[in-house]
Amino acid sequence: MSSKTVNPIMRSAAWRISLWATLAFAIGTLLVFIMLHRFIANDIQRRSDAWLSGEVEVLGDVAARTPKDRLYHRVVGEVAELASREVPNRLRSDGHGNDSVFFIQVGNDGEPKIWVGVGDGVPNLAAIRHSKVVPDVPYDLHVSGFNIPFRVVSVPIEDGSQIYLGLSERDELRVLRKLRIRFFSLWLLIVFFGFAVVFYATRRMLGYVREITEAASRIGESDLRTRVPTNKRNDEIGHLALTLNRMLDRIESSMHQLHTITDSLAHDLRSPLTAIRGKLEVALSGDVKPEQGESIVSAIEELDRLTEFLNTSLDVAEARADALKLSLVELDLDELIRVMIDLYEPSMSEKGLRVHLRSAGPTHVLVDAALLHRVIANLLDNEIKHLPASCTVSINLGESERVATLTVEDDGPGFPPEIASHVFEQRVKGGDSKGHGLGLAFVEAVVHAHGGVVTAANAIEGGAKLSMTWPLATQEKPESLPSLTLASR
Amino acid sequence: MRLLLVEDEIEIQSFLKKPLADAGYEVDSAKDGRTAAQLASHSKYDVLIVDLGLPDQDGIDLILQLRRSGVSSPVLILSARRSVDDRVKGLEQGGDDYLTKPFALAELLARLRNLLRRNLASNEDATRLRVLDLELDFIRRRALRAGEVLNLSPQEFVLLEYLCRHAGRVVTRSMLLSEVWGMRIVPDTNVVDVHIYRLRGKVDTEGREPLIKTLRGIGYVLKDR
Repeated sequence: MSSKTVNPIMRSAAWRISLWATLAFAIGTLLVFIMLHRFIANDIQRRSDAWLSGEVEVLGDVAARTPKDRLYHRVVGEVAELASREVPNRLRSDGHGNDSVFFIQVGNDGEPKIWVGVGDGVPNLAAIRHSKVVPDVPYDLHVSGFNIPFRVVSVPIEDGSQIYLGLSERDELRVLRKLRIRFFSLWLLIVFFGFAVVFYATRRMLGYVREITEAASRIGESDLRTRVPTNKRNDEIGHLALTLNRMLDRIESSMHQLHTITDSLAHDLRSPLTAIRGKLEVALSGDVKPEQGESIVSAIEELDRLTEFLNTSLDVAEARADALKLSLVELDLDELIRVMIDLYEPSMSEKGLRVHLRSAGPTHVLVDAALLHRVIANLLDNEIKHLPASCTVSINLGESERVATLTVEDDGPGFPPEIASHVFEQRVKGGDSKGHGLGLAFVEAVVHAHGGVVTAANAIEGGAKLSMTWPLATQEKPESLPSLTLASR
Repeated sequence: MRLLLVEDEIEIQSFLKKPLADAGYEVDSAKDGRTAAQLASHSKYDVLIVDLGLPDQDGIDLILQLRRSGVSSPVLILSARRSVDDRVKGLEQGGDDYLTKPFALAELLARLRNLLRRNLASNEDATRLRVLDLELDFIRRRALRAGEVLNLSPQEFVLLEYLCRHAGRVVTRSMLLSEVWGMRIVPDTNVVDVHIYRLRGKVDTEGREPLIKTLRGIGYVLKDR
């Protein structure tokens, strides 16, 4: 499987954990088996060597004592034949005689004197002649024509001849092979079963962790009321969930406190503001001299500015504390900006400013509509207030993989150098600005509250450039047309 | 028209009473939810103004309680909170309206009128609207002054339509922003004024009687007599 098409399961931690655990388990059991196997093989060999040594001694004895007459061949032959039948737990193989044992007596002239076994014994003798022989120590003998080696022991007899007794290792190897086959089939079964169990267990456990993660990320984005799921078991993950929930309780309560403070502050200031504004309006509608009227009108305007300042300050404070309540809705940023340009264009052209929109078509974002309206109004207000006549404001709306990017740039004088590096701070404003220096701080706070980024800089060719990102509405991607719409005004 | 004003701030109550009375409302007032519920159970009101921050209960709970006890008159909610509660939005969709403090009197009156008109569900002639010598043709989306077609953009037509529908009454900037452009914002610049100025340039041409009047500090009014 290529790395591109890796199944999500194979990328999961559960898969890796169970793979490693199974590997460790498999290697461990394999090592244990190898040790056991060696031990058993050695033990079997030791037993057959002991038998061989005993038998060859007896045969040597018989051969030495038996008078060298005509019966010698028969006596020794019979004894050897008997000995070969004594081999414990031997299985007859292939049906032709006893091929698991052979006996050979070689005279001091090197010629075979007695042969007991299957065949004529010539290859056995040839093999014996080719191998180095240490008397009384069993050794392995490979005889041509036999796949399986013989274990051979020799003993010299007084008359100078040599007796060789060979025992096929076939049964020994068969036992070991059986052992190996049984072990491997069982081992494979256990390894697969173990893998399945570990995988299932870790997957379940990590699935739970994933649930917690998903719930926790949702909480961060939308509301603080929901909690991560807790399981009944009192294990580490259960503790993690409980701890997270306790932490969320604390965060929620401090957020709630912040809301209460800002709301009551807003409330306490707004009620008198309402009363004052109302009284001024009533006064204005009565019989007033024009000069008095003028001052009442400007007082009302000041009050409205104060209210807006209060709202924006509290919004910025809440957003900075990550406590701004967003009521997210899906809307078309492209359409919204067109409406905004519609609203602002007369004022801009009144000031000799032009505005261009470059958009890649409908861009559906998931935002708090009221806040977004205010952000865009803020940006356009800024342009009107700070740009000298005959400048152009270019608005670019683009869409990348996961965010919509909105860029507002102009070809004016740009941010004054003394504030260029910290335009987003509260109360930072250009020397000639009449505003309260909250505009861009508000823009930044709202963009951040939506999980976006905002940058402000002076373009190299002059002019200020602000760009910000908004989260796209995730459901079906609008089949955005690549054609550029150029709304030039 | 009987109106029940539920507001705990005496100052606000007192300054509202006169303009409401001038606008033809017969005003009863209550300082808390309990009194309001009693008053509403004894007599029938055509419209209610309810402040959300009452001393004894939440304004929304009061509205829901009144609705349960069979009071179906429209409600204008006054809120001193910054963020508009989801529950308020729910009520707004149910036919009620809300206004954040501080508000302009003209806007309060306009929203009350709107609520009552919505309540009467009277649908006037939807194809034509006439104010003095100004005539709006909704089928062809064009406006005529003394029979002469005015060269209006679609946006200007909507703006003029809104002024005509509220002819003779004060319309504030924030009303225009929310009704014509669909956004509750407080621009830092005179964007609405410029729109009105342009519209006036097309409607009140030289030699004609100016119809669109500016009331400084308050809003605009389209003359209807």
